[in-house]
Amino acid sequence: MLLKTNKLMKAFGGLKAINKVDFELPANEIRGIIGPNGSGKSTFFNLVSGVYEPDPGSYIEFDGKDITNEPPHKVGELGLARTFQLLRLYQDMSVINNVMSGYHTLVPYSFIDAVTGRKKIWDQEKNIKEEMMELLSFVGLADYAELNASELSGGQRRLLVLARAIAGKPKLLMLDEPAAGLSPVNVDNLMKILMRLKEKYGLTLIIIEHILKVVMDTCSKVTVLDHGEKIAEGTPTQIKDDNAVIEAYLGKKMDDEEMRKALAV
Amino acid sequence: MDKFKEIIRQYPFLGFIIAFIILMLVPSVFFTDLYQSHLASLICINIIVAAGLNIVKGFCGQVTVGHVGIYAVGSYTAGCMFLYLGSGLWLTLPAAILIAGLFGMAFAIPSFRLEGPYLALATLGGGEAIRLFIENGDFFMSTYGISNIPQPIIFGVPFDTPDKYYYIAMPIMLIAIYFSFSVLRSSVGRAFMAVREDPISAAASGINVKKHKMLAFVLSAMFAGGAGAVYAHLPPGYIHPNNYTVIEMVTFLAMVVFGGLGHIWGGIIGAIIITIVYDLTRPLYEYQLFIFGLTIVFTILFMPKGIGGFIDKYFIDRRFKTKTGASSK
Repeated sequence: MLLKTNKLMKAFGGLKAINKVDFELPANEIRGIIGPNGSGKSTFFNLVSGVYEPDPGSYIEFDGKDITNEPPHKVGELGLARTFQLLRLYQDMSVINNVMSGYHTLVPYSFIDAVTGRKKIWDQEKNIKEEMMELLSFVGLADYAELNASELSGGQRRLLVLARAIAGKPKLLMLDEPAAGLSPVNVDNLMKILMRLKEKYGLTLIIIEHILKVVMDTCSKVTVLDHGEKIAEGTPTQIKDDNAVIEAYLGKKMDDEEMRKALAV
Repeated sequence: MDKFKEIIRQYPFLGFIIAFIILMLVPSVFFTDLYQSHLASLICINIIVAAGLNIVKGFCGQVTVGHVGIYAVGSYTAGCMFLYLGSGLWLTLPAAILIAGLFGMAFAIPSFRLEGPYLALATLGGGEAIRLFIENGDFFMSTYGISNIPQPIIFGVPFDTPDKYYYIAMPIMLIAIYFSFSVLRSSVGRAFMAVREDPISAAASGINVKKHKMLAFVLSAMFAGGAGAVYAHLPPGYIHPNNYTVIEMVTFLAMVVFGGLGHIWGGIIGAIIITIVYDLTRPLYEYQLFIFGLTIVFTILFMPKGIGGFIDKYFIDRRFKTKTGASSK
């Protein structure tokens, strides 16, 4: 198992945002996480990536290592990358610098090398830049490399966030609503890029998404959360027909009689 | 021209040697009296402080108003070492850098929890506390100040007049700039910027936020400490607690803001311009602070990235236009 959680718990005051969630994810899988707003999806990401500290009794394992109480940068170093729902781009940095700072953990030279400004550093920096430019052209942002991230359009920002997360060559990539606010054409484009990246870098993915088409088309398995609890897990087709999921998230299909009643009120 | 640029990029050291030779010749060509040399040394010192301040404020985004306190620590380390041990610049400079670095560590601690104006208040308190401690300590000669701090002697030649001291201050400044460029152009500089822009997503990329805040504070404190020592030895070699008030801090901040926060040349351009303007407006002494306050306000309003950012933007836009063929933007 690449990622494993055991009795994962997090309470904010009296609210149990995540309640005893057991989660297992083998390598090379694409997993979707769905659930209504406030069901604990983002909290789950924050707990796994170390932004929040889980409540006592929880256990998180990534790539065979216990990461339960590790700070976020340690988790990042181990090869777990994530994106944020609110993007959290480095607004005032150039596009290429955004991506290059994602490469931070892999930079081959030490701090002392950097301070003394040895020549080998500039060669290595040049290599890093070339590699990152390749990544940028892969997602289609190479022409914008030197612009500020704040000058990009919404769709381009989503691509940039993706590129930054992949720059560190992670083993597991967790995407928090990667397609939110995109037009249908852009969603397709994003998914295409995502699939190509997965193949190229051998990624394992967890995707939180409200656009069900994305989840149903790309994920091999889906986990459904509601009120902090896991209420279902299975293939997309299983999930579609699961009564608990329909009740909590997907919504019931009305027959004509019910529809007429609902509209009449 | 492009080829020249490429060579400089490959061997940054070469650029500094060229700059050194040019700056060596400047006094004999342009300067007509001792005062101009004095001013040039002062510019060198201010550049060191501003380059350091740019690391912590411009790149790492930590608002510190206590830097002048660390500058004072550097000066008084030099002053006291002369007073009690009789040391010269070559001993006091490394000692000042070291001790200032330790103070920088202390200043970094509040930044782990505080942000923006709150951090500014905390560091302001720290800086003032240092000054008051010096002002009221007999060990530091309190309000008498320390005088007659000697200038270094190299091969029997004393560098005791302003025109000679320039040749001490200038190479130290170049070395400081070299270090600041090396750091800021490397992955460490990028990490600083990432911490400035968004600490949470920086951490998600594997950047240790606390470590980098600490690094930025210590590095810039070392710059300030070194500058303080060079200032202490500046002829006539006199330091007084009044040289390290909040007013001086505002001037340093004005340099960084005006030159361009987070721009690699920012502190340097700002230090040159502000020091000269400061000197030219000396007759208008009572309005000086007012002028610098206004400079900061207007720069932030109309040129948020300072002169450096303004120039950069122009070139980047031009390159972007030629690359994408966009007619207007």
